[in-house]
Amino acid sequence: MTEIASKLFTWVNTRLPIVNTFERHLSKHPVPSKVNFWYLFGALAAVTLIIQIVTGIWLIMPYSNTEEQAFSSIEYIMRDVDYGWVIRYMHTTGASLFFAVVYLHMFRGLLYGSYQKPKELVWIFGCTIYLAMMAEGFLGYVLPYGQMSYWGAQVIISLFGAIPYIGESLELWVRGDYYISGITVSRFFALHVVALPLVLIALVFLHLVALHEVGAGNPEGVDIEEYLDEDGVPLDSVPFFPYKVLNALVAIGVFMTVFSIIMFFFPEGGGYFIEMANFEEANPLVTPDHIAPVWYYAPFYTMLRAIPDPLGGLIVMAAGVAIFFVVPWLDRSKVASIRYKGIYSKIAITMFGVSFLTLGYLGTVGVTEVRKTMSLVCTIIYFAYFLLMPIYTKYETTKEVPKRL
Amino acid sequence: MIAIESVFKIIFKGIILVVLLFSFSEIFAAEGGPCKDYGECDKFKYSLNDIESLQSGASTYINYCYGCHSLKYSRWGRVAKDLQIPEDIFFENLVFDKSIKPGDLMVGAMPEDSVNWFGVQPPDLTLVSRYKGDDWIYSYLRAYYEDSSKQYGVNNLVYPGTAMPNVLMSLQGNQKLVCKEIPVIARNGGEKRDDLGNTIFEKKCGFLEVEEGTGALTKEEFDKLIYDLTNFLVYVGEPIKATRERIGWYVVFYFLVFTALSSLLYREFHKDYNREEAFK
Repeated sequence: MTEIASKLFTWVNTRLPIVNTFERHLSKHPVPSKVNFWYLFGALAAVTLIIQIVTGIWLIMPYSNTEEQAFSSIEYIMRDVDYGWVIRYMHTTGASLFFAVVYLHMFRGLLYGSYQKPKELVWIFGCTIYLAMMAEGFLGYVLPYGQMSYWGAQVIISLFGAIPYIGESLELWVRGDYYISGITVSRFFALHVVALPLVLIALVFLHLVALHEVGAGNPEGVDIEEYLDEDGVPLDSVPFFPYKVLNALVAIGVFMTVFSIIMFFFPEGGGYFIEMANFEEANPLVTPDHIAPVWYYAPFYTMLRAIPDPLGGLIVMAAGVAIFFVVPWLDRSKVASIRYKGIYSKIAITMFGVSFLTLGYLGTVGVTEVRKTMSLVCTIIYFAYFLLMPIYTKYETTKEVPKRL
Repeated sequence: MIAIESVFKIIFKGIILVVLLFSFSEIFAAEGGPCKDYGECDKFKYSLNDIESLQSGASTYINYCYGCHSLKYSRWGRVAKDLQIPEDIFFENLVFDKSIKPGDLMVGAMPEDSVNWFGVQPPDLTLVSRYKGDDWIYSYLRAYYEDSSKQYGVNNLVYPGTAMPNVLMSLQGNQKLVCKEIPVIARNGGEKRDDLGNTIFEKKCGFLEVEEGTGALTKEEFDKLIYDLTNFLVYVGEPIKATRERIGWYVVFYFLVFTALSSLLYREFHKDYNREEAFK
């Protein structure tokens, strides 16, 4: 029996590079021997992506993408489908936590210079993933067809209307109707379950291929390729499998504990993961008291609101996302890690973090005069972090980076 | 260079402090709570394992509310099963339309033209506990007061101008908005007194008070009735909630064990780690 199995394996392996791929990307793939917890969020993002895809497939089965039944089919899933509530809450909790781990993953990149030469493409693929996620999240939020789905979509789609000349026809083209209707829901459904997941999976694949080509970074910013053993393997490295995989497994255990605490005890996330108004069916005649985006868009929504002019707001908001793409060319520092950068970089990244969180908070609450001013101030700090980067990273005194990890 | 760095550190800390102070005073300013003129909503803590309370709430709902408000995402049989009411007793006593089957949705009894009766269609309440919140329902149903300027002679502190009459008035009695003489509280927390030692009173308005003898229930009994009703609405908003919270503990426990075992495995592998052999 084992002989047949091994013969079969050899037969397949001579036709498909199983062993080769396993060794190249897992058991003999060198990764830095010393990293910290910040380096675990990539694996967690992958886990969440898988959760979203699997639960998503099961949600498609009972969901109805029509104007009349979209909302009630969600309640059907929550009440009549066996364990439908588990699948649905996993998907809603997963969406929020996907963004949470991706934000932490991105912040890790900024902290330790994970975009510096030669990792520019890894970073750009990552930014594109983030962009695709934002679109995916927005489209998915419309599908339950609650009040916030409807009015959130109304606000977001009307942003296209701010674009000069083509704006209005573009708005109509996206919506497929003069107002949000079943037509919008069914096209968003197609994009949410087929088009964007394909794009996301392809981008994640490219993100990983590019990463494996240039090698993972570390919090010291040490180039481990400088010191190799006689086989050409970096001295300060360990094989990805099983050592880092086991490390990730522990992280996955912790993450899933948090995940299930939220999912089973606080599935609405205090109104931040599932907004209360979204338990009311979409009603084009009644506007909710207070239209707020889900928390993961809030910082950018605040930027939009901070600028009085609609087109200006749109440009600033788009720039807020787009500016991540050029970070590899904004950072002129000789060192990668914040540990060896100068005081200006440390001030800048702290200010950036504080302003990003404040923008996030401001996006979930109503507008007052003071909050408007704060929004503007935080938007300016946010952009200053990026736009002044070429100056402060170039002229500050950096510390000496050690040779070995 | 070091001098400049420390100056920056101080400036930086100053900025953070200012931002924080600024934030706490103004940014987090209250926005007017969901309970409007009532002030803070009364806190409600559901107890979905108290089957008796849920049964009583269901009975109140079907007798007083279901005539106007459907529960169209919920099924009759599911309610009977979850509330542990034998189906024959349930259908005998709580389902008035005998053509209804256990698998039917609770679509309500209102005719299409009911919008003409109240000016608005009475909303479906299956999910009211989820979009309004249980605190809100619990406060709202207890905050009706006599107001002759309104169509049905009543108004509501939580939902001023509500279109719904006070359906439970025969039970609660006639509640009025009254003014009271209440002792002034001094800065030390005690009652303020004048030079002769008499307590100083001041007139304050906006208190809800039921006219004695007008209702069938006492205040406590009525509060309990509303508690049960709200509890039922919490149940019907998410019938799986009690099960969800029960299963949750097992899942969390599973992942804690998973974490513990995987970290032991991690330790085990790292103990035998040998750089020379690792890449062979």
